[in-house]
Amino acid sequence: MIFEERQVEKNNFSSRAIFIFLFIGLSFLVVLNQVFLLQVSSYSDYELAALNNKTYSVPIQPLRGEIFDRNGHGIVRNIKTFDLITKPSSIDDVESFLQLIKPVIHLSESEATQYLEKFKEKAFVNKELVLKKNLSSEEIARFGVRRFAFKDAFIGERYRRMSDHPKIFSHVLGYTSRTGDRDGLLLNMPRSHWQDTELVYANGLIQGVTGLEQTYNQMLSGTYGKTVYEINSRGQLGKVLEVEPAVPGEDIYTHLDISAQMSAAKAFGSRKGGVVAIDLESGGINVLFSAPSYSINKLANGMTAAEFQEIITNPSKPFFNRALQGRYPPASTIKPAIAMFGLTKKLVRWEEEIDDPGFFMLPENGRIYRGWNKGGHKNVNLKKALLVSSNTYFFKLAYQSDMQELASYLASFGFGAKVCGDCFDEDGAFLPTPDWKYNNLNIPWFTGDTVNIGVGQGYMVATPMQLANYASILANKGRAVTPSIVQLALSDGVIQNNDQVLLDNKDWINLHDALTGVIESDLGTARSIRDLKNFKVAGKSGTAELVSLDSKEAYQDLRGSELLRDHSIIIAFGPMPNPKYAVSVVIENGESGGAVAGPVAIEVLKSLLNEQ
Amino acid sequence: MNNKLTKIYFDPYLFFSICLLSILGLFFLYSASNADLSIILRQSAYVLLGLLIMISVSQPDPDLFRRTSFLFLVFAVLLLGITFLFGPEINGAQRWIRLGPVSFQSSELLKLALPIFLANFLGDKKLPIQAREVSITLSIIFLAFFLVARQPDLGTGLIVALSGLSVLFLSGLSWSFIGGAFVLLVISSPLIWNVLLEPFQRQRIATLFNPESDPFGAGWNIMQSKIAIGSGGIFGKGFGNGSQTQLNFLPETKTDFIFSVIGEEFGFIGILLLLSIYFFILMRCLYLALTARDRFCRLVIGGLSLTFAANLIINLCMVVGLLPVVGMPLPFISKGGSSLMSLFFAFGIITSMATHKKFLPQ
Repeated sequence: MIFEERQVEKNNFSSRAIFIFLFIGLSFLVVLNQVFLLQVSSYSDYELAALNNKTYSVPIQPLRGEIFDRNGHGIVRNIKTFDLITKPSSIDDVESFLQLIKPVIHLSESEATQYLEKFKEKAFVNKELVLKKNLSSEEIARFGVRRFAFKDAFIGERYRRMSDHPKIFSHVLGYTSRTGDRDGLLLNMPRSHWQDTELVYANGLIQGVTGLEQTYNQMLSGTYGKTVYEINSRGQLGKVLEVEPAVPGEDIYTHLDISAQMSAAKAFGSRKGGVVAIDLESGGINVLFSAPSYSINKLANGMTAAEFQEIITNPSKPFFNRALQGRYPPASTIKPAIAMFGLTKKLVRWEEEIDDPGFFMLPENGRIYRGWNKGGHKNVNLKKALLVSSNTYFFKLAYQSDMQELASYLASFGFGAKVCGDCFDEDGAFLPTPDWKYNNLNIPWFTGDTVNIGVGQGYMVATPMQLANYASILANKGRAVTPSIVQLALSDGVIQNNDQVLLDNKDWINLHDALTGVIESDLGTARSIRDLKNFKVAGKSGTAELVSLDSKEAYQDLRGSELLRDHSIIIAFGPMPNPKYAVSVVIENGESGGAVAGPVAIEVLKSLLNEQ
Repeated sequence: MNNKLTKIYFDPYLFFSICLLSILGLFFLYSASNADLSIILRQSAYVLLGLLIMISVSQPDPDLFRRTSFLFLVFAVLLLGITFLFGPEINGAQRWIRLGPVSFQSSELLKLALPIFLANFLGDKKLPIQAREVSITLSIIFLAFFLVARQPDLGTGLIVALSGLSVLFLSGLSWSFIGGAFVLLVISSPLIWNVLLEPFQRQRIATLFNPESDPFGAGWNIMQSKIAIGSGGIFGKGFGNGSQTQLNFLPETKTDFIFSVIGEEFGFIGILLLLSIYFFILMRCLYLALTARDRFCRLVIGGLSLTFAANLIINLCMVVGLLPVVGMPLPFISKGGSSLMSLFFAFGIITSMATHKKFLPQ
């Protein structure tokens, strides 16, 4: 190759080499720019992504608040139990481990199988695994002395939610149950992490399902904490990076009174029905009992399928909360309200007398409405009408009333609406109006319908809760305080409304006097309970007819079938003349109001007044 | 020339910067392997052996390489053939060959043999290179590419092809031809995409542009690599403190993705320093190529250093998410004997080409 040619070749090479190395330099800049974008411009994004990669947060379950009665006695508490917990990752030979521990803790075949099923997975990811739940004290002791032989197992505290009075508070307390709704448990954590929750309860993640446990679930629940673990790409947990402790739920102090509730249950015996007692000063609900009942401890901590089946197929429906949801005709217990309506509308006066022949004849069509006492009560004024529970008097008074006005007057006593501030699943029962009847039954409202309302029969129904609320308004001379179970108000605006049912003070005194006479005087329909106590009680009994009949003879035929027998009802308040508590009792198919429901009401009042 | 026997041929700039890289590599590998000493010891042995090879290979006169270039190529192709016939199948690919206790990737040899052979073949051709030579060269390149790519090892195949093409380019391939080839490539790209690429290769390219679309599948590697680098920030998390690396979120930390380890633990500063060393080596190669004694040496230095550069840049672009994931180690840093040996071998040849000067009458 001659020199010029070599020089041309060399120049050619040089320019090409420089060209391509410039291209390489450019590539370096492109890479550097990309690295700059990642490490400097988007640093915070990637820092967060790396953090999310390497950390695994596990919720820590908080302890639920406990529920106390008005005297500070626990109604539902967290009872410690003990579980045997293992660390599979440090157990080399699981079979021999089980063989070794079997004599110590009494391991059933299914428990061992369940354990083995999950063993490998938990060992791999370095998580704990429960071997046996709810150790007996014997097992704990046996394990205790041998614990040096089992370095990879320890006894963990797990709580159960238990009541010392599981049967009598079942409806009002309600129960907790394992929850599937993890979103409701707040905390922004991926769903999958919930299965690794560090549990405090033997039953896992629980939440209130009914009763107070449900109504106050938020307060009782507390706040979940979290443990942040380091985790690698295979999901194995490493060291703990951070612990945010759980905040236990708040304890709840109720107005409930354990001994009064026990008295109610005892007085009820095996009968069905409901009792509600209200503290007149605060509106606090002291007794809320429904019979028959069931054990919340079993329901919350594991019940066999057969036991559960037994409850739901029981014809008496133990789950049904009669105190809040049972719809019963108020019967004669409505008469004080009708009387007050008459006084307010100036339809009657206290001294005015009418003749009670034992029946009322509707002037329009001559239809006969019978009283409970054949032959009637002769000359009856308002006081006597209340004492002897004269149907004729109230038929007549109701006949003179405008139903629209009467309905709205009864509504001011809480009929036809929910009255309790913090009850679970309360029923509003029903207060009829002419419009309702026309729109729903396509029949106009007849005066006869109003006449029936006058004695608390017909379309109108009320719950024991509503009756107790009504009794408390009567006792408080018109002051209506929203009843509530828990001492602090759920939200202040809801609980503390003091509506007033207006009546002249003189009328109130007369009314209290008449209602006291129902129990305390020789004429009163509920005089049979007079001697059960040594304080004065005012009240009004009632007998709710399930079937409308024209004669007592016809009823005698009906009595054969227990479920068609009349309901026994009473509302009462005392001690008179300065009442502290109001109570309502409904006993299904109990017949005569005063004699059957009356003693239950007296027992509850006595217990609340410590007059046992 | 009186000290011919005692003279040791070596280029201090290349030698020390490569030593520095190798030592840094061991250091990074220690962290990337979760402090596995046995890996470090073995890699150290490779580095020492490699340095020895580099110095030894630097000593012969370039003429030796020129004269044996054809044999070298035939030898490399033969090894590929043997790999194809007897090589064990690992992860669905036949890339390795066992010779007694040693096993190595046979394609590594081709990356050296092909540019040297082509430098010799084109080194005495007149400018511009004639169509006949071009077609012979391209056929050889294609054959080499095909042999490697069908292992299958598309990444190394492309590097082999690039090593050949770079020599062809540097030796004076006409610009019109280059332009024509480029147009042809663009036109045929749909064909390449649909016919020549395997489904998994298409998937890799697709995930490059949208790694978040499949964060647990094909996009995982790219995502985790970007998170590792990005979370390193300016100063890095510190040696041994990279959570992406130490908790194994980052894949292939010891090999393909070791750059991400460096990015995570040493940050932007660390990367800047590392890239400076690479850049320095490349600039030194350019200088040596420009001042080499003859056309053959120029072409060999140019071809080998461009192969090195391509290898480096493909790895960098891959781990920072600019190119699809192909198996490609970071030169002098990634774990692995074969690629390290061939790198030291290549730089030994470069040193030989650069340090042996001829004082010919001009």
